[in-house]
Amino acid sequence: MTALSLTINGRAIGPIEVRDDLSMNDFLREVLGMTGTKFGCGAAQCLSCAVIVDEDGVSSTRPTCIAPAVDFDGLSIRTVEGHAAGGALTPLQVSFIEHFAFQCGYCTPGFLNEGQVLLERLARDPIPRAELERTITEALDGHLCRCSGYVKYHEAVRAVVLADAGRYLT
Amino acid sequence: MIRDWHLPALMAAAVLASALATGFSQPSVSATGQPATSVRSLAAPADFAHIADPKARSAAYFTELGKVLTNPRCTNCHPATDRPRQGDEARLHQPPVFRGVDGFGLETLRCNACHGKANFDPARMPGHEAWHLAPAEMAWEGKTVSQICEQIKDPKRNGNRTLADLVEHIGKDTLVGWAWHPGPGRTPLPGTQEEAGALVEAWAESGAYCP
Amino acid sequence: MKWSAAGGIALSLSRFAGAQTPSFLDRETLPGQGVAHPSAGRVDGVAKVTGAKLYASDFRAVDLPGWPSDTHHALLLRAPDATHVYEGLALDGLAADARPQVVVTAEEVARIGVRVPAFYEGDLFCPIGKTPLYLGQPVALLLFATFDAYDRARVFLRDNAHLRFGAETGPVAGGNYGAFRFTRVAGASPEAPDVYSPIQEGWIRPGFFEGSGRPVWEPLPVAEGGDYVKGARFGEQIRAELDKPGAGTLVLDRRFETQSIDPMFLEPETGLAWYEPGAKKLEILLGVQSPFEAAEALAHLLGEAAADFRPARIDAQFCYVGGGFGGRDHTPFPLYMALAALFFPGKPVRLAHDRFQQFQGGIKRHAFKMRSRIGIDRASGLMTAFAADHELDGGGLANYSPSVAVVGATAAIGMYDVPKVDVTTVALHSRGVTAGSMRGYGTLQTMTALEVLVDEAAAALPIDPIELRRRNALKVGGRTMTGNPYSVSVRAPEILDKLDAHAIWRDRAAQKARARPGVLVGTGVACASKDYGTGADCSLGSVSIDAEGRIAIHSDAVEMGNGIGTALANRVAGHLGGRADAVTVAQVDVFDELELIKSGDPYSITQEEQDKAAANPRWVPEISSATSASIGAHVGTHAAAEAARVLFRFGLWPAALAIWGIAAHDPRAKQHAEAYWQGETLVMSGLSPLPLKAIAAKLHAMGGVTGAMAHAFSRWAWAQATFDIGGDEWTADIDALALRRGAGGFERLDRRAVAFPPADYNRIGTSFSSMCGTVVRIEIERATGKLTIAKAYSVLECGQALVPEIVLGQSQGGFAMGVGYALLENLPLYEDGPGNGQWNLGRYVVARASDLPLHDLEVEILPPLSPREPPKGMAEVVMIPVVPALINAICDATGHRFQSLPVTPEMIKGVLA
Repeated sequence: MTALSLTINGRAIGPIEVRDDLSMNDFLREVLGMTGTKFGCGAAQCLSCAVIVDEDGVSSTRPTCIAPAVDFDGLSIRTVEGHAAGGALTPLQVSFIEHFAFQCGYCTPGFLNEGQVLLERLARDPIPRAELERTITEALDGHLCRCSGYVKYHEAVRAVVLADAGRYLT
Repeated sequence: MIRDWHLPALMAAAVLASALATGFSQPSVSATGQPATSVRSLAAPADFAHIADPKARSAAYFTELGKVLTNPRCTNCHPATDRPRQGDEARLHQPPVFRGVDGFGLETLRCNACHGKANFDPARMPGHEAWHLAPAEMAWEGKTVSQICEQIKDPKRNGNRTLADLVEHIGKDTLVGWAWHPGPGRTPLPGTQEEAGALVEAWAESGAYCP
Repeated sequence: MKWSAAGGIALSLSRFAGAQTPSFLDRETLPGQGVAHPSAGRVDGVAKVTGAKLYASDFRAVDLPGWPSDTHHALLLRAPDATHVYEGLALDGLAADARPQVVVTAEEVARIGVRVPAFYEGDLFCPIGKTPLYLGQPVALLLFATFDAYDRARVFLRDNAHLRFGAETGPVAGGNYGAFRFTRVAGASPEAPDVYSPIQEGWIRPGFFEGSGRPVWEPLPVAEGGDYVKGARFGEQIRAELDKPGAGTLVLDRRFETQSIDPMFLEPETGLAWYEPGAKKLEILLGVQSPFEAAEALAHLLGEAAADFRPARIDAQFCYVGGGFGGRDHTPFPLYMALAALFFPGKPVRLAHDRFQQFQGGIKRHAFKMRSRIGIDRASGLMTAFAADHELDGGGLANYSPSVAVVGATAAIGMYDVPKVDVTTVALHSRGVTAGSMRGYGTLQTMTALEVLVDEAAAALPIDPIELRRRNALKVGGRTMTGNPYSVSVRAPEILDKLDAHAIWRDRAAQKARARPGVLVGTGVACASKDYGTGADCSLGSVSIDAEGRIAIHSDAVEMGNGIGTALANRVAGHLGGRADAVTVAQVDVFDELELIKSGDPYSITQEEQDKAAANPRWVPEISSATSASIGAHVGTHAAAEAARVLFRFGLWPAALAIWGIAAHDPRAKQHAEAYWQGETLVMSGLSPLPLKAIAAKLHAMGGVTGAMAHAFSRWAWAQATFDIGGDEWTADIDALALRRGAGGFERLDRRAVAFPPADYNRIGTSFSSMCGTVVRIEIERATGKLTIAKAYSVLECGQALVPEIVLGQSQGGFAMGVGYALLENLPLYEDGPGNGQWNLGRYVVARASDLPLHDLEVEILPPLSPREPPKGMAEVVMIPVVPALINAICDATGHRFQSLPVTPEMIKGVLA
């Protein structure tokens, strides 16, 4: 057992004693009851369980199903529950809805987190317009969706970028 | 009698190992696939003493070492392309990941996004703090033992390593060493890292002749 | 709700009066009144982008008001061996902190006297001393006090052998699940009656050889009755003609094999249940496509159980579903969930597959072996005869195998009109994982074989592939191979013209010529005509409006991503002006006021039985059906739409008249059909436009009709009934109706007359069908066999698209699933397959974004034939032509026509060598 402390969606959690072989996914879902983060494969294949990790002002995603919870000690993470601060949806959340990006929605938390990380990366480091489609495909390709055929997810992310091109594109 | 279920080949060793460790009462863990003893061991340098020709003996050390170098545990991350392979059947890595500029993956999906500092066995997830791909010039996938031998001696294609460096890399490097302890669901390399190191050393000291 | 369910156990959903914790129903009512949401989008949009608890896998005991707070956990152990005698558990390796508190095996289950529902016939658990019936057959349920103990055990048992097996017996032999023969010989002209058809003569089944269980296809006297002999003689005649064709006839004789695959919905099957022994109440929460069936199956399972294990009441609650694709329609999972709760009395228990377990125990798509022969007149290019034999691997339990066999067989000639057809089909038992319903349902397999065959025929004749299809396409009024015409639009010529005119098809030769060095370019086309509906489809819906003009909808249809909630809201909005802000789906028990009863089997009832039963105004042939067979739009929204029509006509319209001051005798009072909605405003020419809110306020003030609840039944045609509503006669495509007035409760109205579709409509294979065509251009890297889809175009027709964005999304998703089936997905059937418990994604590969032409996939949805054309099912048909189009494109590129799936880069490389 190890005492685990971390920040989730801006809130300090812990210290909580956890088993060393408890996955981060089970910590979120079984210990904290935060089931917005999904379990899909348990093998880092579908990434529906990915959360955002903020380190040194840079965000990245990490799947939670294949990592021990204790690996997240001291980290600051964001989950699907934390995007809409104060109930106001983010531009990416609105774009997902308006583009009918998802169907069953089970993969949505992973796509939302990955898309958000991409937007934050582009805001730091804009890219030429011509590289946008390829960049989105590379960023989202780890995520599996069985319903949508991916087209509308990509369109939804692209729309957010193009709506604020000055910020995301060179 | 307790019979094993029909595990795919890759599971055989893992089950055998854990069965012994946990004291499961299993007299006949006989999984499908390779017979346990022949692929699980490496010969020692002394086993080649009967080869009179020093060049042939040197080459024989390397041929034995070839069991390690051509094993999917090694070739999966010494891929011929920018995309690693995965599993005992050396399938293309899923999700699709690519070498990136430093061998640690593209910016969008770095190796360490999934591969932690150590194996996480509950998810059969392999890990090491330096998990990454071998450089492209060190690709072994699809090559013969002879080809790998010529390549591994060539400083341009071995990361500018001396023979002594190779002894160290194969015999001591902890990422290489992972391949003997890959966790459940993956067959470990034959023998031990020490045994492999001894073969490299014997090969280097005997003139590093290639098969 | 008083169902005539077996066992006399009351089945219902109790609504929790949640204090701090929202009730289950509150959580699942979307978007929810007062919830801010974008004006466009799905009704479940906000919930799904904010991580709200919606799916069965999201709920724990603590989330449900009134439940004890601690969740306990169950682990279902399955046999990875089906050729040796099972001798028991060997759990001695489990550490002390990983041990179950309760172990449930065949012995315990036998002791309490459960009854396995007929649909799932077979041992729920393999008893000691028997060879498992199939790979993945459950052997035990382990019940754990804590998550940690469960989790440790799950990991340990996944990686360590824990079952004892003895002598080798080989696989258990089982009888076939069903064998059928569909034979049709058309009359001399299209107008003439058929010489022989299943519609005229009834469906026929062969006899079986004693012992082997193999069907006897020859017209021998061992067959069941004389009916078989007559049909089989016609069939053999057709085959004899194909054996010895004249010089003017091209005959192709080909075999095609398809693989087993997993539906791979992203949320593994999960449930939560709690048996309260004091109250003898079982509460169960599930995510399935067939909620009504699941509840009935549980009641049957426990109906005659020992006193301590027989609930007096089952409250079943059904969640949003994380993907279904058929694979959650009629699965045995709910039975195990219930048993877990009953053997852990007083404790909420969660049973959740991990992905290994879902691969091991989930329903699969049938692998098919097919032999097809087609005869085509060389001069005219007309198909003259078709004969095929299908063999399905059904796996360990019958499940839907007989039905998949039938649907696959009756789709064997796809969109074509062939005067002589003879198709035999048999679904076989095997030791594989059980196969059942999955998107395409047999037709994906048979139409893939057909469209690859037709493509080859076009090349052999030679006739342009689209022209060959055009000449043979079934025309409006033409008969399908069961002998009935479609009762919906048939739009093959338009689909074919669209494909023919598309640039991908037009430019195929130029693109091929322009291929880069080392790259092969090929173009392929294919079409499909896919049935929707099952021949016994039901719809339950209620719509009500409050004094503020807010609309609430309840439906029994399941939301599995198909957008049913949004389709309901849109379809109802067409009648009521406003978009509902409270939609609940998968509700099978909020329709109690209809007091529906059923008897008999809707598929096999006789006309006499139906006529007798229908005299009872509460009787319907079936109460609720699964959300499957692409019926969401057509059936799932139907009852709510009919309820909305009633609510408008007898509620909002009279209230509007009252505001306008139009008296009952004024001729304008009857002109409700001329009023229309402009947003939330009712417009009637010559009168002041009225906001919905004002009408609703008036309606409530008047105590008028503020809610309507309806049931509908379709057997390839809707049942129709007449009701007396306040002195007016109302005839509609529903068979039960209840109304709410003012703030009161719903009260049912006896129907005055009813016409159920005739019982012999059950001989129809299908009468509802949608069409889709696909053309793809691919590039193959010569050196590696790597295939890239460069461009693709799909064109479909589906009547009125209720939510065009979702129709488009389903088409894009169907394309991706088609690509996976054609090129990527594959499960070995037996020991090396998923039944061994060692399969997960990674080894099993489904299509990713990078496998698809994301920015080069064009989908065209033909507008409805008329504004009044009803919605048609489309979720399956969009997947089907993708598969043969790819195989045909590969042939165009390589010259090799593959006859099995999937086609991998290694296989392509192999034929290029």
